[in-house]
Amino acid sequence: MATPGLEGRLGSAVSAAEGPAVESAPPPRPTTPVEWLHQNLFSSWFNAVLTVISGTFVIFVLNQAVSFVFVDAQWEVVRANMKGYMVGGFPLEEVWRVWACAYLVAALAGTSVGSTRRRMRWTPGRAVVVLVAAVGTTSIVVFTTQTALVRGLAAGLAAAVAGGVAAGRLGGGSLRRPLLVAWVLSFPAVVVIVRGFDGVPPELWEGFFFNLVAAWVGIFASFPIGIALALGRRSELPAVRTVCVGFIELFRGVPLVAWLIFSKYVVDLLLPPQVELPDILKAFVAVTLFSAAYVGEIVRGGLQGVSSGQYEAARALGLSTTKMMVLVVLPQALRSTIPAMISHFISLFKDTSLFTAIEVTDLLSAARRSSSSLEFFGTDMETLLFAALLFWVIAFSMSRWSQRLEVRLGVGSR
Amino acid sequence: VLRIAGQVAFLLLLVAILREMYLNVAFQLELQGTQLSYEFLDSRAGFPIKESVFPYGPNQPLVRAFLVGATNALIVAVTGIVLATVAGVALGVGRLSSNWLVRRITQVYVEVFRNTPLLVQVVFWYVAVILAIPQIRESLSLGGLAFVSNRGMAIPALRGDEQFGTWGLFCGAGLVGAAAMWRWRTRVHERSGRPHYRTVSSLAALVVIAAAGYVVLGDAFHIEVPRVGERSYVGGLQVSPEFAGVLVALVVYTAAFIGEIVRGSILSVPSGQKDAARALGLSPGQQLRLVILPQAMRTAIPPITNQYLNLWKNTSLAFAIGYPELINISTTMINQAGHELEIFAMVVATYLVTSLVISLVMNMVNRGVALRGGA
Repeated sequence: MATPGLEGRLGSAVSAAEGPAVESAPPPRPTTPVEWLHQNLFSSWFNAVLTVISGTFVIFVLNQAVSFVFVDAQWEVVRANMKGYMVGGFPLEEVWRVWACAYLVAALAGTSVGSTRRRMRWTPGRAVVVLVAAVGTTSIVVFTTQTALVRGLAAGLAAAVAGGVAAGRLGGGSLRRPLLVAWVLSFPAVVVIVRGFDGVPPELWEGFFFNLVAAWVGIFASFPIGIALALGRRSELPAVRTVCVGFIELFRGVPLVAWLIFSKYVVDLLLPPQVELPDILKAFVAVTLFSAAYVGEIVRGGLQGVSSGQYEAARALGLSTTKMMVLVVLPQALRSTIPAMISHFISLFKDTSLFTAIEVTDLLSAARRSSSSLEFFGTDMETLLFAALLFWVIAFSMSRWSQRLEVRLGVGSR
Repeated sequence: VLRIAGQVAFLLLLVAILREMYLNVAFQLELQGTQLSYEFLDSRAGFPIKESVFPYGPNQPLVRAFLVGATNALIVAVTGIVLATVAGVALGVGRLSSNWLVRRITQVYVEVFRNTPLLVQVVFWYVAVILAIPQIRESLSLGGLAFVSNRGMAIPALRGDEQFGTWGLFCGAGLVGAAAMWRWRTRVHERSGRPHYRTVSSLAALVVIAAAGYVVLGDAFHIEVPRVGERSYVGGLQVSPEFAGVLVALVVYTAAFIGEIVRGSILSVPSGQKDAARALGLSPGQQLRLVILPQAMRTAIPPITNQYLNLWKNTSLAFAIGYPELINISTTMINQAGHELEIFAMVVATYLVTSLVISLVMNMVNRGVALRGGA
């Protein structure tokens, strides 16, 4: 039952094919600013309206932001409480330990970034962004610090990153394995630097340092448990599988705050009465188990990505199950999970602010406390924005790095 | 044989650990002179709760306090899910707009809110924004109908009068009429190819029948406009500052994630689909609504379900600003009545069951939009 409409459509299609070939080339790249404006902002009346509305919005927000940041805000509160934000009640004469850790991690991170990044192509837009970021960071550091010593150490930190990047560029891909080892070793190294040689007990780890360390502990300590859970979930033994699935779903289904509350109020009931653990240790255990459930799921994803040919090849070589896993399957699976692990680290890092729930003085609670003091009453906007900025800088740069790694490792394209 | 032995050994180890924990609990409880039971839930709560959908007072049993916490958390979650979805889809579409400015704004939004801890955002919206707006005496007035101040927000509310129930019947009839209209317009469209306008016409049917009922009955309902009182608002629908703070933070945060998911799934629609839609002469809006989004939804729903689950769990962050949700209420209960283990089990059960319900509903939605037949 051919309708006239169908015939008509077919007819027009035929005539179009007979006519001059219409190439659907992409619109030419704009050359002049006017053309650029036309193409990107005023291509249709709808677009023009959108541009006007959102332009007004941007101007309004920028105006408010600039007049707050440079005129109304009283940033004195940040300067006065900088030490509290960074390390809280960490004893002043031991702060060198924190700096040592910072230098270690900065150099490592710089090297990692340097060895994985492609050379950046400089465009005017990028140059402006980099310039603004550099000037902004420098002025914030100069403004918020009080002594020349701290400023010098901060500059040194930047130098450590830059030096790392340079070294990473030189080393390139050959650094991959040593870097991995160095990252793994950095965890015990940090613990030794902070705790060893009459160090500082965890009760005094406070401020932003606490947020970083808690995320650090959470990710490293949960890693082996996570791998065990992932292997257990894929095990052929139903008992093992059920227990692992139950563990993972239980910890993923209940928010981290609840587990922290659990660690504070309930865990003591489950332990023998003679065992007395400090609150902070119990909380670290809770975070580790919580994180392990997520790591388990990430690793499971990685394991599923290993093709069955790899298993068969390992079997054909006569490897035992353990050897097959350790030598063939896990290295490939873990490699592909690196970007997902970094995003997990970022969200764990953001979640460390929840330690407020069990009265740990992390960056967020230090910020809240500073603006509720009599001297700086009513500066919540300033302190919270500053805290948010610190969290954001770390999380944002890590997410950028993980995007680059993703491209580089070719995840998904293998 | 080895396998079975291994499993048995594994289970025995697990049982041993659990038994040890149980013995510890029993021992500790004996020291405290209590035992595991849920009878304490019937005892008097003894603490007030700032907001509750059903009547609650300190004299009521603890179980009721817990229910208040659970419903408060659910209300935030449901409202948040709806708003975050709308905002997230808008963001995802904006990220791919042909307008450079819109693209940039949405990108900055996503990068800013995704990379800042949610708890910082909750505290920020509540302490630095909502509590900083004017006192109630100088409430911002939106045309005299709605008010905003640091005591929260008040908007006009619908109040049922005597004939409200009868009017409900009219509304039911209106829904039936709307459904009939929908089917009729669909059939007309299928037969003749004329535009169906089914959404508009069914809505019109509903509104006409409901309005007719209102006119006939005379006093079905009235709209109550809030007034600014001395210390608080009088009348209207009142939203507490705590609720507003949590809700804004959850919506702003989750929308950033949903926006990225929507963007990814729009990009995953084969570009031939868009070309085809354009070739058929559809307007950009129609292309999006009729061709792109329905297909993008298929890949977007599983990750969006994850975000809904996250949002539900994240309602727990409201504890930081004193919104009476599950965590807030249960810690108060633990401090008042003890019985940590029992209360914690209830909290876990509530979170798990609700997560399960969300997953089930979203699975149903997913089945609804999935490709039918083959594939």
